[in-house]
Amino acid sequence: MNLWHNFHYAVAMVLFCVGLYAVIMRRNIIKKIIGINIMETSVFLFLISIGYRKGGVAPVHVEGLDPSRMVNPLPQSLILTGIVVAVSITALALSLAILLYRQFGTLDVNRLFREEEEEAG
Amino acid sequence: MSGAYRHFPILMVTIPFFGAALLPFLAYLRRKAVPWASAFFLAISGGLGTFLVGKIPPGGHLSYPLGGWEPPYGIELRVDFSGYFLMMAVAGISLAAVIYSRRYIEKEVEGGRITAYYVLFLLMSASMMGFVITGDVFNLFVMMEILSISSYALVAVTGNRNAVRAAFKYLLMGAPSSIMVLLGVGLLYSVTGTLNMADLAARVGDTGYREVLIASYAILVLAFMVKAAVFPLHLWLPDAHSIAPSPISAMLSGLVVAVSAFAVARITFSVFTVHAWGLVGTTLEALAVAGAAAVLFGGIMAIYQKDFKMMIAYSTISHMGYVVLGITALNPEGITGAVYHILDHGIAKACLFMCAGNFIYRKGFRKIEQLKGAWREMPWTCFAFSLAAWSIIGLPPSAGFISKWYLVYGSVRAGKVPYAVVLLVGSILAAVYCFRVVYYMFFQPAKEGDWGERLSEAPASMSVPTWALSLATLFFGVFSYLFLDSLLKAAAQLL
Repeated sequence: MNLWHNFHYAVAMVLFCVGLYAVIMRRNIIKKIIGINIMETSVFLFLISIGYRKGGVAPVHVEGLDPSRMVNPLPQSLILTGIVVAVSITALALSLAILLYRQFGTLDVNRLFREEEEEAG
Repeated sequence: MSGAYRHFPILMVTIPFFGAALLPFLAYLRRKAVPWASAFFLAISGGLGTFLVGKIPPGGHLSYPLGGWEPPYGIELRVDFSGYFLMMAVAGISLAAVIYSRRYIEKEVEGGRITAYYVLFLLMSASMMGFVITGDVFNLFVMMEILSISSYALVAVTGNRNAVRAAFKYLLMGAPSSIMVLLGVGLLYSVTGTLNMADLAARVGDTGYREVLIASYAILVLAFMVKAAVFPLHLWLPDAHSIAPSPISAMLSGLVVAVSAFAVARITFSVFTVHAWGLVGTTLEALAVAGAAAVLFGGIMAIYQKDFKMMIAYSTISHMGYVVLGITALNPEGITGAVYHILDHGIAKACLFMCAGNFIYRKGFRKIEQLKGAWREMPWTCFAFSLAAWSIIGLPPSAGFISKWYLVYGSVRAGKVPYAVVLLVGSILAAVYCFRVVYYMFFQPAKEGDWGERLSEAPASMSVPTWALSLATLFFGVFSYLFLDSLLKAAAQLL
């Protein structure tokens, strides 16, 4: 039980931070959306590795198969739901990005929000 | 028929979901019927809820296994009194807002989007009802996602450039926080092997993985803080809530952020429980500091706003601080105060946004300055605003007084006197920003050309919901004794 055995968790956390960095620091809206997707993927990776079992088989019940050899199916079903949610967020975000581009002619957040200040001032 | 009421909680959630799926077909046949149909689905949902009065054992809960899969394997609905109370609040305020929407939306949203508006509206209400009664943490995540995605879309529904920008800002903060909820749930699952709240509560105490549980709790609280717009993470709220169409502002400000704050209570008391106090202590203290900062920051910012809806939005930030301080008091009085505050703030805030909507509908006025002398033309809206503001400030006999009383009492009993002082200062700030508007409305001469002498009140389908909500703030103040006993028992059960 050290980092070497659990390196997939570390990879998931690194990916999570990469995604969060992209969401916070990148100026381009599309890159921010990609950042959100990277964060989602990292959490899915984390969840799927919870259910992993060395030498495990697919959790399909057949005669003569010992259930203790199956991998845990629950995280997989959670991810399936999670992917649906992630796709809807991405779809909505991209459609908003299209609307923003049509109305402002830019995908750069700095320019989007500078204009907001000008309008307010 | 006996025992049929057991199915009512799930029906309350699924009927609006079903309705949302049905509306596009209805729109194809008869577009005019869509608003009425959505009001009908929400009314059925609320009507079923009234059958549950007295059916929930005091201090206990109704458990409903979805699809007959017994918990902890299947998804469980756990309807305790506070969950039921909030579910009814959601049903009632949604019904008022959907009736209000019919005339208002015709003006702000273009024809082709109206059906989409009602579909999203029903999805939002239904998911909120599911959110407050679910007994399964993953189901909590799913309901929260339906809620969030429909909220992002509803902020942008007008398609106007500022609305799209506000919606994108909301999404940009909301989406990472959703992912963090999933991460927190995953961490919980990885060390306990269960997703059912009651089962989790039994197991968190004696796993060997303290650090994982602490991290999971902190991540979940942080994520729900974004959704509830607690002070340092509130940045998306003022834009989104002020630019959205008024009935949507009413729903977002009154309910959506508040149920997210309630989720913090759920996670704290139903999942981690007081037995795991060592795990959650530090996070809760940080949360209390954020809540206190929110009360002051929101109140002060509200005073400086020029835009009417922006002021109400900042007031919401302040009031979410109240709810958070009630939860972190960790005693039955504090929790009762928090739940009651979610209800009465929801009603009063929805009413304030509807009043703002009435002004926008009739005159297109958004600035507070322009409300000088408004009572000549729109006296009923002005009176409704004053009644709701009375509750926001927390003056007796309105409902706001009852909840603030319990919040302050809870803080003092928990030995956190500074927080009690912050709560009272927050009320003074609320008095400042509310009375300024009331003063403008009633006691200032109107600017030339802004307001005439002729009465031009908003149409009945908008005035009636506004007035119903403003009278409800009085009702829940005067008749609060009907609910407080059960709420206190339910809160004591949580601890």
